[in-house]
Amino acid sequence: MNDWRELATQSRRGFLTSTAGGIGGAALASLLAGELSASEPSQHEAAGMPAGEDGRFAPRPPHFRPSATHCIFIYLYGGISQLDLFDPKPKLAELDGQPLPESLAANVRFAFVKKDTARFLASPRKFSRHGQCGMEISELLPHLAGCVDEIALVRSMHTEAFNHAPGELMTNTGTLASGHPSVGAWLSYGLGSESTDLPGYVVLILGERIKAYTWSNGFLPSVHQGVRLGSQGEPVHNLHRPAGMTPAIDRSQLDAIRDLNLLSYRHLGDPEIAARIAAYELAFRMQSAAPELIDLSAETAGTLNSYGTDRPDADAKTFATQCLLARRLVERGVRFVNLIHSNWDQHKDLDRDLARNCLVVDQPIAALLKDLKQRGLFDTTLVVVCTEFGRTPVSDNGQKPDMPNGRDHHPSAFSVWMAGGGVRGGQVIGQTDEFGWNVVEDPVHVNDFHATILHLFGLDHLKLTYRFKGRDFRLTDVGGKVVHKLLRSVS
Amino acid sequence: MNRTFVLATVAAILICLAPSWPVVAGEMGNSVAASATRGEPIDFARQVAPILTRKCHGCHGTNRQEGGLRLDFEAAARQGGDSGAAILPGNSRKSRLVRLVSGLEERLVMPPEGDGLSGSEIELLAAWIDQGAQWSEDAGGPVRAAADHWSFRPIRRPSPPAVTREGWVRNSIDAFVLARLEPAGMPPAAEADRYTLIRRLSLDLHGLPPSPADVEAFVADTHSDAYDRLADRLLASPHFGERWGRHWLDLARYADSNGYDNDEPRPSAWRYRDWVIDAFNRDLPFDRFTLEQLAGDLLPAATFEQKLATGFHRNTPTNTEGGVDREEFRVKTVVDRLNTTGTVWLGLTVGCAECHSHKYDPLSQREYYGLLTFFNSADEVVIEGPDGAKAEVLARSPTPRATRIHLRGDFLNPGDKVRPHTPAVLHSFSPFPLQSDRRQLARWLTAPENPLTARVAANRIWQHLFGRGLVATVDDFGTQGQPPTHPELLDWLASELVDRRWSQKQLIKLIVMSATYRQASTGDPDRAASDPENLLLARQNPWRVEAEVVRDLALGASGLLSPRVGGPSFYPALPEGADKDPRWQASPAGEQHRRGMYIFTQRTTPYPMLVQFDAPDSHVACTRRDRSNTPLQALTLLNDPLFFESAQALAERVWVECAGDTRARIDYAFRLCLARPPNQQESDRLATLFVEQTQLCQADSQAAQALAGDRTLQGASLAEAAAWVGLCRTLLNLDELVTRR
Repeated sequence: MNDWRELATQSRRGFLTSTAGGIGGAALASLLAGELSASEPSQHEAAGMPAGEDGRFAPRPPHFRPSATHCIFIYLYGGISQLDLFDPKPKLAELDGQPLPESLAANVRFAFVKKDTARFLASPRKFSRHGQCGMEISELLPHLAGCVDEIALVRSMHTEAFNHAPGELMTNTGTLASGHPSVGAWLSYGLGSESTDLPGYVVLILGERIKAYTWSNGFLPSVHQGVRLGSQGEPVHNLHRPAGMTPAIDRSQLDAIRDLNLLSYRHLGDPEIAARIAAYELAFRMQSAAPELIDLSAETAGTLNSYGTDRPDADAKTFATQCLLARRLVERGVRFVNLIHSNWDQHKDLDRDLARNCLVVDQPIAALLKDLKQRGLFDTTLVVVCTEFGRTPVSDNGQKPDMPNGRDHHPSAFSVWMAGGGVRGGQVIGQTDEFGWNVVEDPVHVNDFHATILHLFGLDHLKLTYRFKGRDFRLTDVGGKVVHKLLRSVS
Repeated sequence: MNRTFVLATVAAILICLAPSWPVVAGEMGNSVAASATRGEPIDFARQVAPILTRKCHGCHGTNRQEGGLRLDFEAAARQGGDSGAAILPGNSRKSRLVRLVSGLEERLVMPPEGDGLSGSEIELLAAWIDQGAQWSEDAGGPVRAAADHWSFRPIRRPSPPAVTREGWVRNSIDAFVLARLEPAGMPPAAEADRYTLIRRLSLDLHGLPPSPADVEAFVADTHSDAYDRLADRLLASPHFGERWGRHWLDLARYADSNGYDNDEPRPSAWRYRDWVIDAFNRDLPFDRFTLEQLAGDLLPAATFEQKLATGFHRNTPTNTEGGVDREEFRVKTVVDRLNTTGTVWLGLTVGCAECHSHKYDPLSQREYYGLLTFFNSADEVVIEGPDGAKAEVLARSPTPRATRIHLRGDFLNPGDKVRPHTPAVLHSFSPFPLQSDRRQLARWLTAPENPLTARVAANRIWQHLFGRGLVATVDDFGTQGQPPTHPELLDWLASELVDRRWSQKQLIKLIVMSATYRQASTGDPDRAASDPENLLLARQNPWRVEAEVVRDLALGASGLLSPRVGGPSFYPALPEGADKDPRWQASPAGEQHRRGMYIFTQRTTPYPMLVQFDAPDSHVACTRRDRSNTPLQALTLLNDPLFFESAQALAERVWVECAGDTRARIDYAFRLCLARPPNQQESDRLATLFVEQTQLCQADSQAAQALAGDRTLQGASLAEAAAWVGLCRTLLNLDELVTRR
């Protein structure tokens, strides 16, 4: 990356540090933390004094007292069908096959649906009430149904994007254009990393079509980009040192690598060098920490079964392992774990493909919630399940006009949910009209949703800014208000 | 951002400006505004639409409709938004649109962020509304507006501009660059030092490190043409074809297997890859290069090599799963061929028009299928070369297929039959073909009137030499792409490419000879901060080299690299824990040290090291690689067996080839890796490391034995041998090793 925006401040500060060979890990830590995260380093840090931590990208205090310290952000790419999973509309059963009334058709655009022949499509799914709160959930999510008292379901989400790329960008980076940092990158920038031995922001993907901009650092320094673990074979390769490379011999070389890179950094001021120094320090520690992370042999059979890590379907098995890894990552201090599953874009074959997707994700996500709870991690770990938009109450007649079994993109009303991390569970927020077409109560824009996530982490979305090209940018672009109903303690 | 503050500021500026709006018109020098006030008819498409696109459509367009208002098509714009009509034809004074952009409304000004409209723009809008707000003369309004988009206009060769600092100008490129730097008060960076220059040029033209001897010879060469000769020597080497061929293979979505579930190997795919390398080495002119790849089989008395070139479109992934609908996949293949052609030659996302007319660019669904006809009658065949070897290529189908529009992109839903034609926004055929013929399409792409192909090709070459295209969106020259930072320079380069008979080598030479290219990649920090993306080119750009180059640098420095050009792809040994295709059998030891570009590309289980460093996934054309910087990359360079083997080999090489003391050997190892001598601090730090490593290895002879491996350094103790390995591993992990500056 040829990114020089921080060059001026960095080269200035770089010269404050001691000469090569003499710089210790702690001084380096504070140097990098100061250079690369949201706040200015304190005086003693800037002077290269020990900060008490070794080489990590030090945590920073939030703006106010947080309820969440970690996030598992599950993004289901393609547009979840809220009408078949989260937002029951008996009216659609009545109207099944009937044309779209003029009143609804007037001001909408579709990606694919042909308006003049559009017909309502009932959901074949049965909804029933669950838990003490009595939340209505689809039969396709039997495991999640057991957790409804923990989750806050938002039925009133809306967005501007009706195509995938802008929608994906909006949900993950808060704007429709590419080049902006993701939610995880903003949290990494705002709060630093608590994890000494693992990246602060880890990405696990199952499925295709996922673009790197989903976990991009955007214009933030590249230490804030998500580190994507492999979805094929072992999640991390090359963790084992070559034969004979003892930790002491390795460390002596790593010290030299760091010092020589630091000399270049001081000479050139290129922030990519600082990012590489941080990457090597982290890599060194991952050699000890990551084998233990990915070794599931210490998990009990009960835990493995609850996630379903040995289910016959290969995707189901992978996603279960990824959910379990998410918990293990959070346990080890990783701030932000991004699970991405694709593909939920059912323009056709909705019945078949939605059932299959639910089969893959339902059990492991529910197991994750219970597991976090059991281990005392639930209250500080925010679990988010989201998507880029919903799907239309009318069938997508663009695909198979005679036998439509799919829904088109629907940005004006869709559903997401959150749990843990200070979220008040057992409640439904917002309401849509009888067709599920428009939001009629408590609309929540994607920017509001992001503002709320930051709030749970003790960050004011208006204050968490980064100056780029002469403007202060934020995750919530020019919008966003905290949805206080979502919070356990009203503030 | 402090929105209130900005709003207040913008409002204040506009309030100062606004009252003068009705009267200022007459004073305007701008001819457009002058014509507006003289009552000359305003041309909506040319004069008004661009303003709306630039300033309004972001919030009042396809994706967002703030306040319920859309300004991207007539009916919606006339209807207005939540607060009523925005445009009152014949009355600009009362039109909310004009009042908002000129700051005459209380508490609200448009646009709320970014630069507001200039006086002359407001003037134009007002005049247009006063003249009745005619959206367009004809129904083809949007196409007309888009036809005026910069990349659809003809390429006209601009004259290099006059500049003050003439002494800096080495060729015309520099004049175009200076012409933007000078008004910005930004001087260009100094020329990079000779060490940096030779390493940069070697990486850009070969993707390999220069040898220490070549570096010294170049640094010591005092002739004024030393750099010129260096460039010529590098361009004449067969490694040039490997380096630039690999760039092309990214576009060609080249792979050695079919993809999809079965992902069978394509044992002869490499023949096309070698054709590409050879084509770059013999500098096959780009128009010819185009013709042979798209239609080599149709040339009169086509040679085996010309047919082989059509392997370009045999790189499409293929599904051989049972139960696959053959026609469905044949259609997918044809669609892939057209979409790839659109991206690679036209820089357009034509694929959007497969299912519906393009939302942003002037390409209708009918036009898409008009283009599709050219690929619809191509069959896949296997031919045999003079040496008996087989190759997968295209051939004209004995029975031409009729092409029909697929409604919503569904092949089971055929619509009207279409004839071969090209998009109306671009030039037409002459003569018009009666039947689809791939040769016609290739000639149309490289016709002198084609405004896109030469620009797209020149821009891509620029990207490989500056890390970023003059048009940053190298794959999108449409209305949603970014405009060029230096439009005239781009047109000049495109004209040069054509004028030099489409010689890519000559264009590359021209660019690397410029003072712009030769600048240091570090500039004045304050100035750099004012142009963080280096859009003005007041310096070169540094970047982490591509995946294959990372590997080639380690192998090259250590002396392990096998310089063999071409031949069947090989299977490297896989690291522990990597997902393994059952057919993957590591090739014999003699193959293991070939260049990264010869690694077998198994589409569904690509070689992990390449994936780690952002190699393309080879399913669709990749026009721009990511350049991530992750701890997993560090783990690869530290621990991957191949990289450790390189450290061991480098240690042995240094020991054998340099007879001096420890400092001399450190110096030599450093030069092998980084193509420059270490400075005093660096040399001292490495000497300290060597002592430390020797002590640690003395204390642990078992470790030392394993580290030193089979390679014995004659005359060195075991601990010293191991310490040299450690020192070399350190060098091979430096940021500078993998960075092109």
